[in-house]
Amino acid sequence: MIDVKELRKRYDGQAVLDGVSATFARGEVVALVGPSGGGKSTFLRCLNGLESFDAGSVRVGGDTLGPGCGRSQGAVLGRIRQRVGFVFQQWHLFAHRTALGNVIEAPVFVRGLGVREATERGRALLARVGLSHRESAYPAALSGGEQQRVAIARALAMDPEVLLLDEPTSALDPERVGELVDLLAGLRAEGLTMVAVTHEMRFARELASRVLVLHGGRVIEEGVPDEVLTRPNHARTRAFLGLDRSARG
Amino acid sequence: MEQPWSWATRPPHTWRWALAVLVLLCAACGHETGTGLERVRRAGVLRWGGDAQGGEPYVMEDPEQVGGVRGFEVELADALARELGVRAAFVQNDWSNLIPSLDRGSFDVALNGLEVTPARAGRVLFTRPYYVFQQRLMARLGDARITDLASLRGKRVGTLANSQAWDLLLRVGAQALPYEGVQEPYIDLEEGRLDAVLLDDIIAERYGQTRPRLRVVGDVGEGHYAIAVRPGEEDLRAALDAALTRLARSGELRAIFQRWHVDDDAEQRMVDWTEADTKALLADTSTAHLGWGQAVLFLQAAGVTLLVSVLAMAVAIPLGVLLALARLYGNGVVSRASTLYVELLRGTPVLLQLYVLYYGLAGVLRLDALSASVVGLGLNYAAYEAEVYRAGVQAVPRGQLEAALSLGMPLRLALRRVVMPQAFRVALPGVTNDFIALLKDSSLVSVISVVELTKRMTITAVDVRSWLVPGALCAALYLAMSYPLARLARRLEARLERG
Ligand SMILES: Nc1ncnc2c1ncn2[C@@H]1O[C@H](COP(=O)(O)OP(=O)(O)OP(=O)(O)O)[C@@H](O)[C@H]1O
Ligand SMILES: [Mg+2]
Repeated sequence: MIDVKELRKRYDGQAVLDGVSATFARGEVVALVGPSGGGKSTFLRCLNGLESFDAGSVRVGGDTLGPGCGRSQGAVLGRIRQRVGFVFQQWHLFAHRTALGNVIEAPVFVRGLGVREATERGRALLARVGLSHRESAYPAALSGGEQQRVAIARALAMDPEVLLLDEPTSALDPERVGELVDLLAGLRAEGLTMVAVTHEMRFARELASRVLVLHGGRVIEEGVPDEVLTRPNHARTRAFLGLDRSARG
Repeated sequence: MEQPWSWATRPPHTWRWALAVLVLLCAACGHETGTGLERVRRAGVLRWGGDAQGGEPYVMEDPEQVGGVRGFEVELADALARELGVRAAFVQNDWSNLIPSLDRGSFDVALNGLEVTPARAGRVLFTRPYYVFQQRLMARLGDARITDLASLRGKRVGTLANSQAWDLLLRVGAQALPYEGVQEPYIDLEEGRLDAVLLDDIIAERYGQTRPRLRVVGDVGEGHYAIAVRPGEEDLRAALDAALTRLARSGELRAIFQRWHVDDDAEQRMVDWTEADTKALLADTSTAHLGWGQAVLFLQAAGVTLLVSVLAMAVAIPLGVLLALARLYGNGVVSRASTLYVELLRGTPVLLQLYVLYYGLAGVLRLDALSASVVGLGLNYAAYEAEVYRAGVQAVPRGQLEAALSLGMPLRLALRRVVMPQAFRVALPGVTNDFIALLKDSSLVSVISVVELTKRMTITAVDVRSWLVPGALCAALYLAMSYPLARLARRLEARLERG
């Protein structure tokens, strides 16, 4: 589904991505973990072209993104972004649109769907994330958890094949995390490919089929959650997971 | 009558009118009566006011003597001073404010192509005239429609406002257009923006008849230049009258005219001039009165102001949006071009831009005055709108654009559907502000002969010899236009805030 080869990116001479390669298969759910500043968000943003990179390539289906942000990539970017949804850490709901308005904006103006059909589908999606009663609320009037669910519904409205989520649990209390896990588990059951950056190990364990550990711009470890999260090979992973301390304690 | 201006150096006049109102109000508080002649004799100087910014042959700067002036009126002032036993001293004063400055006491007399008109005669003491001029009608070479005064009915004719020619044109039903300079009416006539020009023969000879595509239709009336003295200083006027008569009789007056090539047979009448002639000339002190007719003219002028402002804003807003987007999202060249545009149009006076657009580019771009006003103000205000929108766009969090892009929206769509609507909210107060400023700045278009509200006010004020009522009416109409707009904008802001 997604094939990333030798991705490199520098900010002010500092390598943020230092040759990252990864493959995400159809229907797979992958958790990206690692210490803060390890390049997780940057990597995720490269996957749908929100961030340009200096070297390497990202292939989504039949479309390949190369380094730089040349004009020639515009069409490729458009196709990739329609297939790859993104849920931001801060959600970024359109502040001037209602919950429903947020969900139907892209189907109507990118896909050219009729407003009535888009509205029907939008309502169904809001119902699915449990927000039917809030469809005419503006983002400023929604709680963080509600905004996140609208953001998910907005991404799903474009029928993406892949959903990228940047720290979806960071603003949620434990109960809400449970609800989110249920929601995403449902999407996984339908065959949606997902890549999520997370600090929440329970989230990774319950949802992910594979875990990638990013550190210093490289994938330092990967494997099934049980392996990586309980018996990591790499010292940095152990330190990051706090296993060294508990081992000592 | 009036004074040649060089277009490049003519400053904006709107604020000066406002100043004139103030000056008049102060002057009304107390007039020093008593004898002007004594004061002049005691000082040993006759201070005379004029505007050296004008050109040949009235008063102009002397290229051979820094700070000096020359012209036929300079020689006249010197001769008059000599007759009074004093010396003459020139006081530079903006031409359109000569009479308010005279009132205020900036100089003893105003001597600078002042035409004797009933309106002026009601405000100052005029001496006997020193020069008689012809009102010369000019038209384009190929235009046979213009044959005499009567043929001007319904035609566009340029002249100076508050002159006898102006009244004459209104009487024959012509569409009189007010000019303040002497080149511009002839340029407009050549360019086909006017059908005819009616101005003093001195001006016509120097600025109109030198143009090969124009012809003289004929002289359709005459006017007189006289010296203005402060009301209450009858003795000074009497002394000047006597001195003028002596100069005329001795032949010195016409000798001066000959030196400056403004002499003709008609000037013999200045030599034979009698007191009875002066009485007859000054007998007509009829004043226009503020009536419903004037009120209708004011409303029409307010309509012009509103029309020009709204259309200019309709040009400025979309162009401003494009400029802001070009600057923020365009490639290097486009972005720099946008920045250059903004700096160029913000950094130079809009008056200059109007002149360049209307007169400077007349050869390549034939715009009528109203279109030039709309385009000129629109292009200028676009620079301000661009900055307002740029600030608006920058106030929209970057995440909004990224969210739109991540849904597969192309940049343009994302800007149009997501960024700009939010930027507009931020920009709205600035846009309202600019629109209100534009309403008032639109008075600048009077320099390209559009009669809008401020121009109407100044014309009427001089006609009815009072600034108070026309000024108040003018202010009320501006407020009546800007206040509802401000209210509307506040309501819209509140609605967007809630939304
Ligand atoms: N626009 C930018 N300009 C300069 N440096 C940047 C920029 N964006 C990110 N970085 C740097 O790149 C590095 C990786 O950032 P990134 O956000 O990908 O880390 P992360 O793994 O997502 O961290 P966290 O867990 O805190 O979100 C950091 O050192 C960060 O300072
Ligand atoms: Mg991050």
